[in-house]
Amino acid sequence: MTRLLRIALAGLALALAAPAAHAQTGRDVPPPAQTQNPNGANPTAGAVTEDQLFRELNKLQGRISIPDGKAAVLEQPQGREWRAFRESWLPWIAGVAILGMAALLAIFYFTRGRIRLEHGEQSGEKILRFNSFERFTHWMVAFCFIVLAISGLNYILGKRLLMPLIGPDAFAAWSQWAKYAHNFLAWPFTLGILFMALVWLRDNIPNRIDVQWIRQGGGFLGDGHPHAERFNAGQKIVFWTVILGGFAMFGTGLLLLFPFSAADINGMQLSQVTHATIGVLLTAAILAHIYIGTLGMEGAYDAMGSGQVDLAWARTHHDLWVEKEQAKTASGPQLRPRATPAE
Amino acid sequence: MRVMLISAVAAILVATGAAFFLGQEQRFAYQAFATTGARVTPSSNLVGPRWTGDPDVPSKSGQITPPPG
Amino acid sequence: MARMKFICDAERCIECNGCTTACKNEHEVPWGVNRRRLVTVNDGKPGERSVSMACMHCTDAPCAAVCPVNCFYTTGDAVVLHSKDLCIGCGYCFYACPFGAPQYPRVGNFGSRGKMDKCTYCSGGPEADLSVAEYEKYGSNRLAEGKLPLCAEMCSTKALLAGDGEVIAQIYKTRVITRGYGSGAWGWKTAYRETVAI
Repeated sequence: MTRLLRIALAGLALALAAPAAHAQTGRDVPPPAQTQNPNGANPTAGAVTEDQLFRELNKLQGRISIPDGKAAVLEQPQGREWRAFRESWLPWIAGVAILGMAALLAIFYFTRGRIRLEHGEQSGEKILRFNSFERFTHWMVAFCFIVLAISGLNYILGKRLLMPLIGPDAFAAWSQWAKYAHNFLAWPFTLGILFMALVWLRDNIPNRIDVQWIRQGGGFLGDGHPHAERFNAGQKIVFWTVILGGFAMFGTGLLLLFPFSAADINGMQLSQVTHATIGVLLTAAILAHIYIGTLGMEGAYDAMGSGQVDLAWARTHHDLWVEKEQAKTASGPQLRPRATPAE
Repeated sequence: MRVMLISAVAAILVATGAAFFLGQEQRFAYQAFATTGARVTPSSNLVGPRWTGDPDVPSKSGQITPPPG
Repeated sequence: MARMKFICDAERCIECNGCTTACKNEHEVPWGVNRRRLVTVNDGKPGERSVSMACMHCTDAPCAAVCPVNCFYTTGDAVVLHSKDLCIGCGYCFYACPFGAPQYPRVGNFGSRGKMDKCTYCSGGPEADLSVAEYEKYGSNRLAEGKLPLCAEMCSTKALLAGDGEVIAQIYKTRVITRGYGSGAWGWKTAYRETVAI
């Protein structure tokens, strides 16, 4: 009896083992269709597969047991696109924008030359063009911007240009300090931009005189001097570039300073792309501003340097503003020849 | 020239102030990404060696001196 | 030279978090820093799957490419490591990483996020193998001792496999053929630009 039972059991075991043995025999066996498996039913009928999820979604997200929301993103292939922007596009955008602007300025300098003071532009009488607070604001933004631009470009071009020269250790130490400067000088920069907007917005509303100024090429092309109020159209363009660009840099920079507080991973990538692109374009634009304020035009630097410009120079370049200021003098002490430097 | 120097100094002062105030806001990963459930401190969520076993008698864990540091 | 890879068989992963615990303990990783984590996709629905994810040690790693101070390097075994001495804590590697592997000791990015920390494939960092300095910065170096990463070695269902890419791909392939189904080699296409063809 027991013997018979044992034979029967052995037979049963063999019968059961056969399909399994067959499946284990190896790699040459063609894979069974998805609906078939040794158990007969497909336990993965409703299961997710990576392929299928990627077809439906741009990134894979799930649930996570650690209190860190961004960790719930399992895969985000967009990282590779961001990398392509940062490593392939950005160095070229930065290089072309900045070197291109430098080349343009060089061409302008060597063809048009420095815009000299004309004969009648030195009267010896001075007029206050920018008061001390305006100059303070300008120089605070300028000082911060130079540091921010250099430390920002260091992120893009540093490892390509500077690192081979000074070695990885010195470069890492410099970059760490550059990052501190970038993160914290951003705040006085923004404060300066805010002040700038407050004190100069009034004089920078575009109007019909600007159209005329642009039509005459701003006096760069010909010899004439188109009418201009306190700021000519070119200066207004610089103003709006700085104000709008500055606030855009602050907004995107804020997102980058507080990572994942208001944006998800793709939002962070987009912030960086915006921040970097506007940053390099702004740097290129400011190069032109620095050129025209110093080397490009004789007498222009005084306006921001001492705050006082020659009355004759002002009459030539900002005729409508001088008229208005002089009209004011009748009723107040706006125009003070040789006024004490208001520092 | 003096205004330029003052503005540079002011910028550095504001930056230092920003660094100070942001430093107060800085959170560490162990604060932000760990729950209190993951922390075992003998004075609060461990009963300690002097536990009486009687739920009515409050645990004397409060008397245990916390580990140094 | 082997080409070291991870593979997570989502059909076997039971979300026990053994791998994350093993990792934390082996390297004394601080709270809040998660070199390895478990993500459950379609949680609570039929056909949910859990995947254990850490640094996949990508071919042509995006983190290494975007690093502004070039602190990453790839070892002979194709493990992507980094130098904490060079890292400036900018957070860029996290934006580039498809798998969310880089971790930072600080949350805010003002000043520095601190030295980035990530899975080292249990093979330390640029310091001398098995030195104290290496252990303090990067955790233990099992590879130097001839052992594979502890997360995979400790995996109770052998869902997570570590080792030479060809070998673990073959194991996974055999499993899929044997049981007749599989949800894919998670992350392989993104990390290695190849998948396990069944």
